[in-house]
Amino acid sequence: MKLYEKSAFELTQMLKEKKCSSLEIVEDVSKRILEVEDKVGAFVTLNIDNAKEQAKTIDEKISKNQAVSLLAGIPIGVKDNISTKGINTTCSSKMLENYIPPFNATVVNKLNESEAIIIGKMNMDEFAMGSSTETSFMHLTKNPHDLERVPGGSSGGSAACIASGEAIISLGSDTGGSIRQPAALCGVVGLKPTYGSVSRYGLIAFASSLDQIGPFGKSVKDVALLQTVINGYDKMDATSKNIVYPNLLEGLNENIKGLKIGIPKEYFGEGIEEEVKTSVMNAIKLLEANGAIVKEISLPTTPFAINTYYVIASAEASSNLARFDGVKYGYRAKEYDNLVDMYEKTRSEGFGDEVKRRIMLGTFVLSSGFYDAYYKKAKIVQRKITEEFVEAFKDVDVIASPTVPSTAFKIGENFGDPLKMYYSDVCTVTANIAGIPSISVPCGKDSKGLPIGLQFFGDKFKEQTILNVSYAYEKLSGGFDCMSKII
Amino acid sequence: MKVDIKHIAKLSRLKIEDDKLLKFEKDMEAIVNMVEKLPDVEGELKLDTENPMTLREDVAVQNKFSRDELLKNAPEVQAGCLVVPKTVE
Amino acid sequence: MKDYEIVVGLEVHAELNTDSKIYCDCKNAFGLEVNTQVCPICMGMPGTLPTLNKKVVDHAIKMGHALNCNINSVCKQDRKNYFYPDLPKAYQISQAEIPLCENGYIDIMVNGEVKKIGVTRIHIEEDAGKLLHDESFAGSLVDLNRCGVPLIEIVSEPDLRSSAEAKAYLDSIKSILQYIDISDCKMQEGSIRCDVNVSVREKGSTEFGTRCEMKNVNSFSAAVRGIEYEAKRQIEVIEAGGTIVQETRRWDDLKGMSFTMRTKEDAHDYRYFPEPDLLTIVVDEENIKQLKESIPELPNIKIIRYVKELGLSQVEAIQIAEALDKSKLFDESVKINICSPRLICNWILGDISKYMNETGKSILETPLTSSRLCKLLENIEKGVISNAVGKQVFEIIINEGKEPEDIIKEKGLAQNSDVSALEEIVNTVMAENEKSITDYKNGKTNALGYLVGQCMKASKGKGNPGIMKDLVLNYLSK
Repeated sequence: MKLYEKSAFELTQMLKEKKCSSLEIVEDVSKRILEVEDKVGAFVTLNIDNAKEQAKTIDEKISKNQAVSLLAGIPIGVKDNISTKGINTTCSSKMLENYIPPFNATVVNKLNESEAIIIGKMNMDEFAMGSSTETSFMHLTKNPHDLERVPGGSSGGSAACIASGEAIISLGSDTGGSIRQPAALCGVVGLKPTYGSVSRYGLIAFASSLDQIGPFGKSVKDVALLQTVINGYDKMDATSKNIVYPNLLEGLNENIKGLKIGIPKEYFGEGIEEEVKTSVMNAIKLLEANGAIVKEISLPTTPFAINTYYVIASAEASSNLARFDGVKYGYRAKEYDNLVDMYEKTRSEGFGDEVKRRIMLGTFVLSSGFYDAYYKKAKIVQRKITEEFVEAFKDVDVIASPTVPSTAFKIGENFGDPLKMYYSDVCTVTANIAGIPSISVPCGKDSKGLPIGLQFFGDKFKEQTILNVSYAYEKLSGGFDCMSKII
Repeated sequence: MKVDIKHIAKLSRLKIEDDKLLKFEKDMEAIVNMVEKLPDVEGELKLDTENPMTLREDVAVQNKFSRDELLKNAPEVQAGCLVVPKTVE
Repeated sequence: MKDYEIVVGLEVHAELNTDSKIYCDCKNAFGLEVNTQVCPICMGMPGTLPTLNKKVVDHAIKMGHALNCNINSVCKQDRKNYFYPDLPKAYQISQAEIPLCENGYIDIMVNGEVKKIGVTRIHIEEDAGKLLHDESFAGSLVDLNRCGVPLIEIVSEPDLRSSAEAKAYLDSIKSILQYIDISDCKMQEGSIRCDVNVSVREKGSTEFGTRCEMKNVNSFSAAVRGIEYEAKRQIEVIEAGGTIVQETRRWDDLKGMSFTMRTKEDAHDYRYFPEPDLLTIVVDEENIKQLKESIPELPNIKIIRYVKELGLSQVEAIQIAEALDKSKLFDESVKINICSPRLICNWILGDISKYMNETGKSILETPLTSSRLCKLLENIEKGVISNAVGKQVFEIIINEGKEPEDIIKEKGLAQNSDVSALEEIVNTVMAENEKSITDYKNGKTNALGYLVGQCMKASKGKGNPGIMKDLVLNYLSK
């Protein structure tokens, strides 16, 4: 097995046992990038030279038997909406094509403290708005399992690079499913943590009350390890929760005897493809056969989740993206007659169509006369959805569902049909609305060989619970086969 | 529901090109028709007092960033200031 | 012409004197080199988040107590969205429906009468940057130093009925802000600003007329001028048969006129919604109580007390009450109660103010304690020393820090108030000044001054001038 095919957990063991060096890992991953990046297009910016230098430093420490941190020497991809000091951070938008942040996001500081090596910045849907990475201003990212299909979005690059072997682990962000959906479509593990558990300082905001940064990996252990590194209270983020965050890797426990799994009927309706339903149910049956208790539950307000999500997310986005005005940073139009003209041209030329649609939708729902009917109403429905989960978790420990109604669709298939694209999020948005943690793990492939995702929701701050059931499933199913077979 | 695209675009400081206007209007109408289907739920919005905010102590920190660092990404700078088209009061 | 009533409401913005800004830990300071007091947060760089400064909340609550408001111990912040180059995030973090303080009032004194003015609300928000223009330059320049400076906005009820009331209100608000030490109120530095709302209606009417808001009012006297102009303008429009258009106008103090800035149609749609990057503000009841207890007697209340109870004029009362050090000295001295408040007032507004103006020092920084001041004044009032000698003693107390009685004794300054001794002197001097006596009796009144002066000289300046004058007059009347 090549080094790039191994998990972070395995590689940290190998480094400790001096069975390989960090430089060897970085060089192997770099070689792989050279081989396949043309086909996959996962990256916006590569950081290979720096990565090699960092690897050498880590190797020196290890050779001197000095202590190294949790992720020392492991190449990681970072989604391009997470601020990296001195490295281009573009949000895959023309608006920030040349933007170089003067500071690191808190999570990047944590990665640096854990001595992980940032191998590059990952491609995404522009400003995290999309479910296919097709709205990226930079280029398309292809699904490593089928290069004619999308990797999902908005963290398409972060998911694809795991399956293509171009990074060992990666960070993405999830506002309505942007980690879990691409994780499902690319056949890897992706976690959206509890809102408030990972600092948003330095994450270029899409929807402030829904966004969370989260980990991608080949295995549950990798995701648990990376999540342990990035989570924690941050005084720079007022929405960050000040509690004790246990080591999720050390807490992994595959015992699911008596674990109650809720199956919400609203997530298994008509819109879900048959093969997806079958795979997901088979996974659940496997868990049941090994001691888990399965219960049918109902989350009645689920059908309104997409509407609620789009109202709230667009409203916050329209305000968050107003700062891109050509004055302080980012793109500015070349010709304009006056200030208002400068604003309009800058923003119209700098943003793509999907971003414009969402900004306009957000402006509309907040505008005078419409606030009560849309935004206020959506916030009340949000509370109802949240309460339904709280009630459900009194009865069950985790809730299981498909991650996405379908497998990876063809490039261009849904592009240009916003509503069809939005529907891809129908199983994932509820976790963002309720602020609860949710993970997607691979649970088989469809007849076209495309990965299918199984999703587990947990109660707030119960990451350990959903990681445990995922870990149990991983072991019982013989392990996850994440790597692409075609490149 | 039909959205007054011109008005909303102006509020958002966006310009939709004429050849794209029709598709935009159609898309917006479809999206708004989708999102407006919100159920009537009982109750008013209340402030969440279970998670009160921790306030920051009033301590100033000097010179964390230089002006050059902060203005490095600016499209146009003059005499240490950002340059914009003339603003009319 | 009908009889009209002016209705005025005022919105005052005051910058708070905290050490750091409201949402970041940049230094809160004025007048520094452009764009050197900024950080990614107050610059609105992508990915940055606000954190609320505790002192801003405390200061706002103190003002709320000073203005007799209800404190909303549970409240939030909201985003006010609009585009302008001095607003980096393209939204201002402010407070919409639930301000930190509301439903208060302030008692002000106008023309000797006390009037209660309602205060609708006080809320916290961030200041915007500054735009600099130059004739020679085609564009405008943006300095973001002021972004994130903490502000409180104080909104009055439309209870003011004249420009004089408005001025009294503004002066009182300013002195309270300084008194409770939450703002330095330097109008020339822009740390206190006001917007004026004016409408008119026929006297006796209960309906409010359409109001116009006026911005760019850069001083309290400009507010007075603006109000008077705007009221006149509105009355003229109505008298001519027109209707007032609700609009925002810009006051031009040089031209002495206001101009349309925005009509209701172009009015901003601020699309307020709760700030998602900040959580609910919950203020501890104990903290609210402590902040209330820390408020001293406020200047507007002092003014009323000085006029009604101590017999000072409104002008004198304002001058003493609005200066923290002068009022402290005055209050302490009055409490000691060994000389009249009138005399204390005269000295504070006279020699003491003169000293402070000349040296730039506060009297509280000198050895002139209230105890020493009172002992000095007691001696003057009892006639032990003259007022003129008192001034000498005052100088010595300030420079050497001695007790007035010790100084009087050491320098032998006690004046002679022995009537018989003085009478002897008067008799002697008058005998030598026949001509002056004749002059006086022929109508030359300044001969009196000369004669008294000669007597004082003969007494080596020690004679009690009051008694001396009486004795001379008595002699002359014989």
